[in-house]
Amino acid sequence: MRTTRRQFLALSGGALGTAALRLDAAPALAQNAPVKIGVLAAKAGVLAPVGESGLRGVQWATERVNAARGILGRRIELIVEEESSPKDTVERFRKLSLQDRVDAVSGAISTGVGLALGPVAEEMKTIWLSWDATTQKGVEETLPKPKYSFRSTDNECEAVMASLLTARHLKGKFRTVAGINPDYSYGRDNWAAFLAIMKKYGIELSVVSELWPKLGATDFTAHVAALGQARPDLIFSCFWAGDTPIFLKQAHAAGLTAKSKLVLTTGGGVHEALKKDFTPEGAILGYNCLYFDWARASALQKEFVRWHHEKFKEWPNYESDHGYFTIVAYKAAVERAARAAGGKWPAPDAIIQALEGIEAESLSGPRRFREDHIMEATFFQGMTTHKNAYDFVTIDPVETMTTKQIQKPSGVGLYDWINSWKV
Amino acid sequence: MIRRGLALAAAALLALAPLLAPPYQVTLLLPAFAYGIALLGLNLLFGTAGLLSFGHALFVALGAYTAAGLTTRYGVLSFEAIVAAAAGLAAVVAVPVGLLCVRYVKIYFGMLTLAFGMLFYSFLYKFYALTGGDEGLRVLRPLLLGRPFAELDKVGFLTGPFYYYALALLALATLAMRRIVRSPFGLSLRAIRENADKAAFVGVSVRRYRFYAFVIAAVFGAVGGTLLAVPTGLADPLLAYWTHSGNLVFMLLLGGFEHFLGPLVGALAFIFLQDLVMSLTAYWRFVFGALLAIVVVFFPRGLLGLVAPERPA
Repeated sequence: MRTTRRQFLALSGGALGTAALRLDAAPALAQNAPVKIGVLAAKAGVLAPVGESGLRGVQWATERVNAARGILGRRIELIVEEESSPKDTVERFRKLSLQDRVDAVSGAISTGVGLALGPVAEEMKTIWLSWDATTQKGVEETLPKPKYSFRSTDNECEAVMASLLTARHLKGKFRTVAGINPDYSYGRDNWAAFLAIMKKYGIELSVVSELWPKLGATDFTAHVAALGQARPDLIFSCFWAGDTPIFLKQAHAAGLTAKSKLVLTTGGGVHEALKKDFTPEGAILGYNCLYFDWARASALQKEFVRWHHEKFKEWPNYESDHGYFTIVAYKAAVERAARAAGGKWPAPDAIIQALEGIEAESLSGPRRFREDHIMEATFFQGMTTHKNAYDFVTIDPVETMTTKQIQKPSGVGLYDWINSWKV
Repeated sequence: MIRRGLALAAAALLALAPLLAPPYQVTLLLPAFAYGIALLGLNLLFGTAGLLSFGHALFVALGAYTAAGLTTRYGVLSFEAIVAAAAGLAAVVAVPVGLLCVRYVKIYFGMLTLAFGMLFYSFLYKFYALTGGDEGLRVLRPLLLGRPFAELDKVGFLTGPFYYYALALLALATLAMRRIVRSPFGLSLRAIRENADKAAFVGVSVRRYRFYAFVIAAVFGAVGGTLLAVPTGLADPLLAYWTHSGNLVFMLLLGGFEHFLGPLVGALAFIFLQDLVMSLTAYWRFVFGALLAIVVVFFPRGLLGLVAPERPA
C-alpha cells in the first residue's frame, strides 16, 4: 500500500505527538519510580549477627516509610548486597552504583571496609550512609571533608563513656588493671582511650596484664589463666561479639568475675547471651546506641522492640537503630531539600546539603549528622543487674550520654580533646 | 588453528569490551585480569611442575601492599615502577621461602606454602605501624606511562586507560608464560611433574628447576596483586588469608589447569559467577563449595576440558 502525503503527515504528526507525550511523561514516571537504596549487610562470619540486625532496622524503616506514601510519593526499594572483605565490598558498592543505579547506599560495619568505601563513594559520587563503619584509621579521621560519605559515630565513643563511668563510680576502688580486647584497631584504640582517660582523672593504676585474643575467638582458657595469675582489681574489655559470653563463662568458672570488677564497653551488643549464671551484677556494661529495656524509651522504640521480639523472638540491639536512622535521615533530607525546591524531587547535591546537619527521630531518640558527616547519637551504659524478668543481665541505673559528651569534636584529635577536658 | 582463532577472537572481544559492555561489567574484568596473571604463575607450579601451592595469595598480597606502600608512603605513583618493585620484592621474598618449600612435594609442599601464607597474613595484621594492621593501607590512583588522566573520574580511569593497561599486562604475561612453558625449562618442569626420578636421571636439576618455577610464580602473583589493588583502592590483610589462596586454586580448577589458557578462563568465570551468585543468595559460599565438589568429581579438567580436547599444558 502506498502512503499518501496526507496519511504521511497524519502519521508523522501522531508520532511526534506520541513522542512529545512520552517526553512529557518521562519526569512523571521518574517521580513515581521507586527510590532505590542499596544495602550492604554482613552475612557471614563474626559480623553476620550484627549485619542481620542492621538489615532488620533498615527493613522496618522501609516498611513504615512505604506504608506512609514513601518519600514524596515514591516507594523505597531495597537492593541488598553482602558486606565482606574490603575488596569484595567495594565491588558490590560499584555494582549498586553503576548497575543498579541506586540513589544511596546504606550499610557497612567494619572499619576496614569503611576505609575502602569512603574514597569509593566519593569517586562514584554515590551517597553512602554508614551504619557502624567509620573512615578512621585508628582514632584519626582519613576523610576530613567528604561529600558523599556519611559516617557512623567514632569508634572510641563507647570506651570514652565507659571510662567516664569508671572514673565516676569506681575511682579509689581499684589499683591494678588488666585489658582483654580483640586484636585489631578497635580493641587497641579503646584500650588506649581508657588508659588516657584514667590518667586524665588522676587515677593511679598499674596495668598488670594486656591480652589481645583474635577477634571472634572461642577459647579463652589461656587468657583466663593469665588473668588469674595477674589478679587485677579491674578488667577492661571491648568485646562486642560472641566472644563476650564465652569469655565471661570461662572467667566465671575460674572465679575471676567474683574477684575483679568488670568494664565491658560494648558487650550489650550480644546482651541476650549474657546469662545471669555467669555474668555478675555491678559490672559496667555498654549497649552502644539502643538499650532495648529502657523505661523512658519513646513509643517508636517500644513499638520496634515489640515487633522485633514478636518476629524474631529476640530483643534487638544497637545495629538495628543505626540502620533505621540511615533510612529516616535520608527521607528527612529529601523532604527538606524538596521544600526548598518547590516540592520537586531534589537533585543529589541538594539532598547531600540537606543531610548535613539533618536531625531525625531514631529508635533511641533524636539523632543527627554533623556538618562534617559524622553521626551524633545517644549512648546507653550502666551497672549490670539480675533484678529483671529475663534470664540475662540488664542494667540499672541506665546512664545515657550523647556524642556531644563522648565524641571528639570535628577536626580535633582524640587525645588533644581528652587533654583539654577540665576535670 | 581453530584454537588460535578462538583465542584471538576472545582477545579482540576483550579489547572492545569498554565500548560494548556497561561500565560495571568492565570494572569486573579488572580483577579477572589481575587474577589471570597471578594464576598463570600458580599454574606454572601446579599444571606444569605438579606442585600445588596453598599460599599463592602471599605474593598477590605482597603486590597489593607494594602498590599501597609506594603510593601512600613514598609518593611513587608510576605504575611501571610499582609493577617492577612488586616483581622484584616478590622474587626477593620467594628466594628463602622457595628454597624451603621446594625441598618437599605433594601435601608437604602445600602445607608449607599455606604456613608461609598465614605467616605473612599475621605479619600484615600485627605490624600495625608498617602495614596498617586490620585496616590495611590505601592505594592511590597511579600514573600510567607517566600520565595521571586527571580529566577522568575513577570509573572513567578504570574502564579506560587502566583497563587497556591491565589487558596489555595480561597479554604480555600470557606471552611470557607461553615462552616459559614451551622452553626447555618448561619441558623439564613437565618431565619433573611426570617422573622426578627419571628427570633427575637424564640430568634435570629437579630442585633447582622447581625453585625457579616457584620464584617465577611469585613474580606473576605479585604483578597480579598490583593490578588487583588499584580498583579496590585498599590493600588489606585478607588478601593474604588462606581462603584467598583457596579461591586461587578454585579458579585454576574451574578453568582447567591442564590447559595453558585455563587460568584465564577460570579467573573470568569465577569473577562473573561470584558477581551473579552473590546477588542471588546469601549462601553463595555454599553454592561455590558445591560447585567445587562438582568440578572436582565430574569435570576435573575444568571448563576448558569441556570444550577443548585433551592437550598437555
